[in-house]
Formats: sequence, C-alpha cells, structure tokens
Amino acid sequence: MSFLHPLALLGLAAAALPALLHLFQRRTPPELDFPPLRYLSEAERQSARRLKLRHLLLLLLRTTLIVVVVLAAARPLVPGVRGAEGGGGSAHQPTALVVILDNSPSSGAVVDGRPVLDRLRDAAHASLARSTSADRVWLVLADGVVRGGSREALLASVDNTTSGWVRLDLVAAVDRAARLVLAEPLPGHEVHVLSDLQRTALAVGRADAPRMRGVRVLALAAGRPVANRGIGAVRVAEGAAVVSIAGSDDTEPAPVTIRLRGRDVGRALATPQTGGGAAVVSVTVPPQLPGWWAGEAVLEPDELRADDRRPFVWHVAPPVRVEAAPASGPFVAAALAVLREGRRVAAGRDVVIGDAPGPGRSVVLPPADPALVGQANRALAARGVPWHWGAPGTPGPVASADLGMIGGVEVTRRYRLDGAGEVLATVNGEPWLVRAGEIVLLGSRPDTAWTALPAAPGFVPFLDALVNRVVAGEAEVAEAEGAPRVEFRLRGADTVGATLFAPDARESDLTPATPEQATAALGGAEVLDDRRFALERFAGTRRADASGALLVLALLLAAAELGVATLTR
Amino acid sequence: MPAAQRLDLLDPADVARLGGIEIVAEGVVEGFLAGLHRSPFRGFSLEFTEHRAYQPGDELRYLDWRILARSDRLFVKQFEEETNLRAMILLDASRSMAWRGAPERLTKRAYADRLAAAVALILLRQRDATGLLTFDEEVRQLIPARVKTGQWTRLVRGLLDTPDGRGTAAQAALQRLTALLARRGLVILLSDLLFDRELALTALRYLRHRGHQVIVFHLMDPAEADLGGPPEVRFRDPESSVSIVVRPRELARVYADTVRREIAAWRTACRRHGIAYHHVLTDMPFGVALRLLT
Repeated sequence: MSFLHPLALLGLAAAALPALLHLFQRRTPPELDFPPLRYLSEAERQSARRLKLRHLLLLLLRTTLIVVVVLAAARPLVPGVRGAEGGGGSAHQPTALVVILDNSPSSGAVVDGRPVLDRLRDAAHASLARSTSADRVWLVLADGVVRGGSREALLASVDNTTSGWVRLDLVAAVDRAARLVLAEPLPGHEVHVLSDLQRTALAVGRADAPRMRGVRVLALAAGRPVANRGIGAVRVAEGAAVVSIAGSDDTEPAPVTIRLRGRDVGRALATPQTGGGAAVVSVTVPPQLPGWWAGEAVLEPDELRADDRRPFVWHVAPPVRVEAAPASGPFVAAALAVLREGRRVAAGRDVVIGDAPGPGRSVVLPPADPALVGQANRALAARGVPWHWGAPGTPGPVASADLGMIGGVEVTRRYRLDGAGEVLATVNGEPWLVRAGEIVLLGSRPDTAWTALPAAPGFVPFLDALVNRVVAGEAEVAEAEGAPRVEFRLRGADTVGATLFAPDARESDLTPATPEQATAALGGAEVLDDRRFALERFAGTRRADASGALLVLALLLAAAELGVATLTR
Repeated sequence: MPAAQRLDLLDPADVARLGGIEIVAEGVVEGFLAGLHRSPFRGFSLEFTEHRAYQPGDELRYLDWRILARSDRLFVKQFEEETNLRAMILLDASRSMAWRGAPERLTKRAYADRLAAAVALILLRQRDATGLLTFDEEVRQLIPARVKTGQWTRLVRGLLDTPDGRGTAAQAALQRLTALLARRGLVILLSDLLFDRELALTALRYLRHRGHQVIVFHLMDPAEADLGGPPEVRFRDPESSVSIVVRPRELARVYADTVRREIAAWRTACRRHGIAYHHVLTDMPFGVALRLLT
C-alpha cells in the first residue's frame, strides 16, 4: 500500500491525543465536598466494570477514529482493477511520467475536418490531468526541450501548444524520456507518446532504454492516414529553379508555382517519376541582375498547409573575368567567346583556365602529354591542392547532382583524380571533377578526343557554371528548420550569405508507421487507440483510493463513539 | 391568609432571609397552623384514662360508640398523652449537615434548625413538654423536655449554641436519649442519615420498644439526590476526608438509583419497626415538611 500524501501520516501522532487528554484531565480535577460519599462509592463500585469497559471502548474508538481520518487524509492506495478507467475513486502509485507531445509540422494536418494536433493535445491533457501531486511529470514537445514544473503549468503548456516548424526525432525523444523517468526513484515509470507516428520519424535507430529497464511506453495509435505532398526542396541553378516534391501522394502531377517578389514568374507540373521516385520539376527563372534573390515555390493547398510553400534564395554574381590559356584548347576558347558575347564573362584574370594553376582562381585541365602529369601534380602540390592526377581511368558517363547539364555525357579518356575533398562530378563512381579551395580540377581535357562534352549542348552552360559559380565559390546558403523565411547574413554592408528556414522535407510524408514498426522502434511501446490509451494510462501502477471507504468508516466510528458516549452514561 | 403569602409555603431560603430562627419559626408556624383544622400531634398516645361528656367541637372519632348505643348519651374518650405529651427533638449537627449543594439554598443544618424550632413551637403552644438534643460524635446540647415559659427560647438558644460538628454518632445520642426519656413520648430525629443504618436502626428500635413514638426526618440537599458538577471532579467526604474522583455525568444515573434505593431501604426499615419516615429536601417549604407530621 502506498499513499498519495504520505506527509499526512505525520498526523498519526495525534492518535495519542485521546490517551494524553485522558491522563491530563485525570491529573487536575477540581476538589469538592460531597457528604453522601458513601452513596457515590456504592454507585461507583456498581459501575466500575461498566465504566472501565466504556472508557476502554471510547479510548479505542477515538484513537481508531483519528487513525482512520489521518489515513484517509494521506489517501492510501490499494491495488485496483487493471483496465478500469480511473474515475473519481481510482488513483495510482507515484509515477515518473514524460508526456511527449509531437507538435511537429505534420501535426497540423487536417484529418476529418480536425487538426491532428487537437487529438494529440487532448490525450496529453488527459495524461497530465490524471497525474497527481505525488507524480513527477515532464512535457516534451517537438523542440526536444524537457519541460518540468507543476501539473497546472504543464497543462497550460499543453493547452497553448500549436503546430511548430521543428521535426521531432521520436526515437531519440522516447529513449531520452525513458532515461529521465528511470532516474526518479518512484514506483511507476511511464512515457506517453502522443504523435502522428510518421513513418519517417521512426526510421532512424531504436529506443532501447525502455525495453531494457521496464519503462512503460504508451503510444497513441495514428489516425486515418491521409495523402499529402509538399515542397521538399528548391534549388536555383543556371537560370532555373529545380523543385523537388516530397510527400506520400505520388499519383497525381503537382502544379508548382514560382513567385518572386509576390509575383508568379513561372509554373510547371511536377510529375511523379516512374518507380516511385520523388517528382522533380525545373521552372525557368527570369534572368536577374547581380545580387541576392529570394523567391517562393508554392503548391496548391492540401491537408497539410505547412509544406505547401517553401522559400528559396540564390545569388547572382556579376560576370567573372576569365582568361583561357592556349593549352586549354579551341572548344574552351569558343565557349568563352559565346559567354563573353552573352555578357556572362569578361576579359581578365579573375579565373584562369589552363594546364597549370594560376595565382588565383583556376580551372586546371590535365596535360595532354602524359609525361607532363608529374610536373602538373607537383605544381598542384605547390599550391597546396590535396588532389592529383593518377592513372588513366575507365571510360564512362558523367554523373553529377549539382551540374545537371553534364549528366550522362560520355567520357572516353580520363585520369583518375586521387586525393580528398569536394567531388562535383564522377565517372564510374570515381572523382572526375573536384574542387579544393579556389582550384577546380578536371579528370579529362575539354576535347572531343577525351570526352563528348565539348560537343554537347550543355558545354557552354557547364563552362558558365564552372567559372561563375563553381570556381568562384558558391554563395553560402545554409538551411535550418523553422517557419518558412529567409534571413541574410551581413558582414559590414555586404551580404555574405543567407539562411533558409523551412520545415524538414520528411514532415511531408504523412504515412504512419505500422504498430509493429512503432513498437519495435520505441522500445516495446504499446500502440493503443484512444479508448485503450485512456484505460491503460497509469494502469501499471493503478491503485484504488481507499480514502472514501476510510471516511465512511470514520463516520461509523464517530457514530459508534457518540452512541457509546451518550447511551452508556 | 392567601397561600402565596404564607411563610410556611415559601422557599425555605427566602424565608430564612427574613430574620433569625425565632422569627422564621414563628412565621412558619403561624402560617402552618392557619392552614390546619386541628393540632398535628393530638392523639398520639393510646393510653386511655377516662370518659367525659361530649361538647360541641370535639372530634367525632373519639366518640365512644358503645356508650352511645347502650345509654344513648354522648361521651368522648380521653387519653393521658393527649394532655401531657413529652416530645424530644434530636438534631444531627454533624459536619455533613453543614453542607449545601448551591449557594442559594440553606444548608441541611440551617434547614433542620428552623424546622426543629417550628416543630418545638407547635408542641409548646399545645402545652406539650418539648426538649432538644443535638449531637455529632457526641451529644452537644441537651435541653430536657419542659413546658414552662421560656422553654422555646431555650430550645432556640440550644440550636444556636450548637456548632457544626465533625463526625456523626447517632447511635450514641439515641442511647443517651433512652436513658433520659423515662416516660413514653415522642422522638423526632432530624438528620441526613449519613451514618450506619443498622446501628441507628438498632437504637431507634429500642426507643420503639420502650413505647416511644418515633418520627425520622431524612434531610437531603437536592444536589445529593441528583449528581452533577464538572466533567471530572474529586469529591471529598467532609467528615472523613475520604475522596474519590468521578465523572458525574457517567455516574449520575447509577448514583440516583443508589440514592433511591437508600431512601427506600430507610423507609422500609422504619416502617417495619413502626417508625414514621419522611424524606425532606432542603428546598421543600417548611409548611410542606410540617404537614408530613399530620
């Protein structure tokens, strides 16, 4: 048996009061003359046994009454019926409880006309409301912050919770919560997971702490799954915004609109890829003057509004001054002429293209003569470049995520690039285009004898990207979770970078994990529907509050005391 | 005199505040006699002496019906004591008699003094010889029975001169009395009877055996009949200083039963021996107590 208010048991000391009062009163009775003492002695002699019994009975009744009242005040808990909803008379043993309320962006999805968060919030509220002052309770929201405090404060926090912009790593949160409750020396340890149980939120790792230590994890079962798609990512390159569609609705094309300064500047349909890949669409962005530009990709509204728009930002640099060494070949010279004509580059030595690295930014091509490879490598080493040309590599197509215009272009002759650093394109999985600071190295010469690139349509855009963006160093655009917005970083009067805030793209996939997946990932969590969740709350430590029965007993004792005190006179 | 103004029917304590014993007794007796049609003590003796001719006003119960039947003349019987009653008043002056249960009441002793004075006055007015014996552990005052002038004053003085005693020895006083009463007469005992009943009854029986008429007034304060007081109290016997701690409320019912049994025991024992027994509470008007004698 345990008690909700064990401190009240200190009142048991009051059980000695009747005996003490009895002794105290016996010590100081007033003294009076009374002549017929012989009658009194006779009466007392006749009543001695009855009075002794009466006094003993009254002392017993009063002491028991105090003990029962004190016990009732301490609210004793006796084993209750598991599975019974804890109503008025039911309670539980002191329990350490962490309520994880997943208010990540996906909780804002509207299912059956009601936000998912409303259901989660109701369940969290009920869990906290059922806790008692003897429990230790914490609340964890999607930001991962463990909130302690009184039950009332946490209830207020729950009631004020709205859908946030931060994704919750549910597995890590449960693992941490389990360790937290285990640190409390209380009889019960429970973690209540109120989440939409997104499959993507359970994909990484397993929470082992609950399973290992016997913490009870109750997870509210996910509601009805709904289809959703959102803007997963937007990247601007070579005059186009490449928009990736994320989410679980991959059956219908998604119309994407690009907005600049609040004005629609482009629109396209993102068609799902065959085989289940994410839909990607490229929307042309009108040429802009040099500087920082911010825009927004917008989808039509659906069940989850948080991912229907996503900002993007890019930097348009002024035309770079490029000088190509004669050894770079005619194709490079011709492409630069085109770019100069289009005002994409100018004459100068900001960037040098040749067989050897220049003093500044350089695009270094492998020497045509294999005998000069060693000399070129030494020059690179002298510049501190951690890459060098190695043995000739096998032919193959170019693959590059960043430079899409050269994807699939065949390479027939190349040198392997050995070293460590940033790889921009590969051939047969081996580095083919790499960057080390202001130096960019190619594994093949821009010559049709080495590769089909000079004859490909993407060669001029490739060279444009190479000199204007790749070798010049791309403007730093960081990404972070948060409400969709762009924040620019300044150094003096110059804008040196930007941070793009948006929800995690994984939040768009509303597909819930199966109960089995949730149980496995969350340390043996019991995945329960709303009714079962309400029944199982604190069921492991549920106890019936015996204070009501004790109060009834106290009333009976009081009535018995009154009866003995009055009727036995 | 309207009943409401008769001193014998007023509260004894109120009456006692009117003056000394003499004034109170006289007032009580005046009121008492005014309410009576005949003397309360006439005809106690059965000692027949002679006949005399009936005169208007004689009580019919003393008419000799046999003579009336034989001779058709009216004669009444006369008794010796009727004209020469010797009465002795015994008053318990023990310590227990000097107690009262409430300040507004008379002590049992004060009540007994006034009652004794009233009885003596009635007897003396009837020309009956009346004496007084006060006692506690021993006889304190002894005034032989006389009928001469000033006897009542002497009796009252005897009452006043008797201090409150300590213990009680009724048996010794009664034995002393038997030696003093050579002729048969009337003995009136005023006491709270807080002494050994059997010993006292032995002496009273002896008096009866000698032919005396015995009347016992058992005086009791109302607080002695119904136990009350603080929740817990140590009661002390003023005579023996023995004490006992009780809770009056717990014991009240049994105590009342005990008192009733004690009274009943006295009444039964007295009746068995031809002794008149009267239980008198000290808040009882003197006239009511005197009426018990009729």
